[in-house]
Amino acid sequence: MMLARVADSLYWIGRYIERAEHISRLSNVMLTASLEQSEAAAEAAHMALAAVGDPDEHLAGRTPFEAVRAMVFDRDDLGSVVSSLARGRENARQVRDQITTETWERLNMLYLRIIDPQAEAEFDRGQSAFLHDVVADLHLFKGAADATMSHGEGWRFLLLGVYLERAQLIGRLLDVCFGEAAGGKPLQDHLAQMSLLRMACALEPYLRAYTADLQPRFILEFLLFDEDFPHSVRFAAAQIETHLLRLGRHAEAAAHAGPERLAGRLNARLAFADPKELTASGAGPLLRTVSDECARIHQGVYETFVAYPLEQRLPA
Amino acid sequence: MNKPKIQDADAVPAPQLFPAAAYAPGRAYDEMFAADGGVRPHYAALHDRMATLTSAELAERQRMLEQLFLLQGITFTVYGADAATERIIPTDLFPRIIPAKEWAQIEAGLTQRLTALNLFLADVYGDQKILMDGVVPRELVLGAPSYRREMRGLFVPHKAYVNVCGSDLIRGEDGRFAVLEDNLRVPSGVSYMLANRDASKRTFPATFKAAGVRPVERYPDLLLATLKSLAADWRPSPQVVVLTPGVYNSAYYEHAYLARLMGAPLVEGRDLVVHDNMVYMRTTTGLRRVDVIYRRVDDDFIDPLTFRRDSGLGAAGLFNAYRAGNVVIANAPGAGVADDKAVYAYVPDIIRYYLAEEPILPNVETYLCREPAQLDHVLANLDKLVVKAVGESGGYGMLIGVHASAAEREAFAERLRAAPDNYIAQPTVQLSTAPCLTGGRIEPRHVDLRPFILCGEHTVVTPGALTRVALRRGSLVVNSSQGGGSKDTWVLHDDGGEPQP
Repeated sequence: MMLARVADSLYWIGRYIERAEHISRLSNVMLTASLEQSEAAAEAAHMALAAVGDPDEHLAGRTPFEAVRAMVFDRDDLGSVVSSLARGRENARQVRDQITTETWERLNMLYLRIIDPQAEAEFDRGQSAFLHDVVADLHLFKGAADATMSHGEGWRFLLLGVYLERAQLIGRLLDVCFGEAAGGKPLQDHLAQMSLLRMACALEPYLRAYTADLQPRFILEFLLFDEDFPHSVRFAAAQIETHLLRLGRHAEAAAHAGPERLAGRLNARLAFADPKELTASGAGPLLRTVSDECARIHQGVYETFVAYPLEQRLPA
Repeated sequence: MNKPKIQDADAVPAPQLFPAAAYAPGRAYDEMFAADGGVRPHYAALHDRMATLTSAELAERQRMLEQLFLLQGITFTVYGADAATERIIPTDLFPRIIPAKEWAQIEAGLTQRLTALNLFLADVYGDQKILMDGVVPRELVLGAPSYRREMRGLFVPHKAYVNVCGSDLIRGEDGRFAVLEDNLRVPSGVSYMLANRDASKRTFPATFKAAGVRPVERYPDLLLATLKSLAADWRPSPQVVVLTPGVYNSAYYEHAYLARLMGAPLVEGRDLVVHDNMVYMRTTTGLRRVDVIYRRVDDDFIDPLTFRRDSGLGAAGLFNAYRAGNVVIANAPGAGVADDKAVYAYVPDIIRYYLAEEPILPNVETYLCREPAQLDHVLANLDKLVVKAVGESGGYGMLIGVHASAAEREAFAERLRAAPDNYIAQPTVQLSTAPCLTGGRIEPRHVDLRPFILCGEHTVVTPGALTRVALRRGSLVVNSSQGGGSKDTWVLHDDGGEPQP
């Protein structure tokens, strides 16, 4: 049992944190790739920018460095790292009584660091180190939440936000590379393939699973269907299902819009998908399904736990 | 007057920052130094410790202290033109120390005072005997905006209208404590008391241990027990919640802090639903009944159906649920009439009336401008007095005659003549001073004392307090909204504690 408003805030902390981490990692990989003098560098930049918004608008005559700087520090851009952190932290401040001090401190410290007037100068001195630290601090936040918060309702809402956001972000990234947006052009360049794996935090796990034999088909399979890799879409879907099943246990049966049913269906769809289908018809349709189902689950979570109609819940 | 300021000055090597001849307490009572320049015995250990620290070490400790506050988010928000900035509450690293004997007197005085004020509230919302007997003028009480007619004849558990009280005490030039204000509505600052204690344990661990300081850490669970004792006894495990105006309130940190340490949900008005005179909160698993609301929202805003209609901070129908006895609101609505600045002048009489005792803690001498003779006196002595508006708090709407210009005084006199009922006046009390670190030097700053008293089934005075500090030299205004800071307050177990560095 917890306040609906509090559950809502925890859910959004999870989403914002995941978003900030993803953008930071994308930016870092993109900057590193742009050091190469090749077509692939431009492709990596395009990939990263398309995965977070409209690449032409982002680039608009700017160098990749300037684009990344804006993706990190532009407070007017709601998708930037600083905006996500500020909103995540604002939500955390509103539920300060529900998260442990250890967890709060990690997020607050990172926020204070990135809004510090010196932060941009520090970024200019070493972009990669700066972004690496942001990602590492966000991992510490998740670690502190895992280690110190009760693994009860609040924590589950937090993780629900994290994994729902992750499923959507990885889905979007894959869509840029393999879906309709890619126009059926397979990802051939070695550097672009490496960049994609790095952006999904997947390089080392992939190499262990498939060795250094990089194949677009394997990469897609790994990021979509791998059961154990935490940044695969399937893993995220399984987590969403687990958390929703536990959360739904106490919600009144009459009011079930059934987000856990939706999550179970999505998870099953990914778990029992036939990889051959992907080769035949492309990844586009499946990725669109993932995106639509995530949106539906979000809606269902709201209808069941947060913004339910009062009439159904008043005592008789 | 040529006595050495510090008795053991010879023993201390020169480069240390403190003790320093530069520390000049002035004519106010100083908490650390007696009038003859000697260190008061209960301060000896801290004084010796301060003497061993260099300026750089002190600055480092102050920096660590501020870092700790910032990291924990112990901040208040300042809303500017375009962006809101968060600032930490200025906090000073040297504790203020109160010996056991003095505290015993404060404790007895506060208990007596709050007992009498609760009896007074039960009376003015009940039979009104004190008004019939003419001890307190009828129109003064019934005409006050803080008097809530809606409360007449309502049952209040244990007749405890005021459950959380944070009185402001000051120490005058004669070294005696007096009550400056009774804060009976939604007093704040207790989280700073607790945070300051955490900090001072880190800053002066050995001195703290040796001094034998009484703990304040039990405040949250005592508060919870007090609140639970207000619930109806047929509700076996009452649900207590803290009602906050929201994250934009300057005391939001405190609301969240208390909720977290009590394990009670922190609710906003929009989380509450009143149905059939029962109060519920919206949870993820449906609606859940609420029994006790520790509200940090003013009377005016708790229920738009009963009080201010434009309030979005409360819950519609809350007061009716309260009237029906299905929920308890702490502090009770209408408790503010007893801390009205004009009623304040009558508190000593109120104590005598109900308890047949002499007040242990005196009032500060107060002139009621509603009395023509006293108004004349106030107008004639405007340059020596502090004039306060009856309905205001937080240091707003007041005139400090000593520091005001002739034009300001003249403008204020106009307002006084126009509405004398709205004002009271008090002599300018030189608040006591305590050593504070400012700009790398240790200087005396004026301080007051805000202890916290809980009253439900029992009355408990927390053995500690928030000491508020006027940060500017010579300033007498300690309110945090007016640039005041705070420091930790050590109440000693017994005065024979072995002083050790």
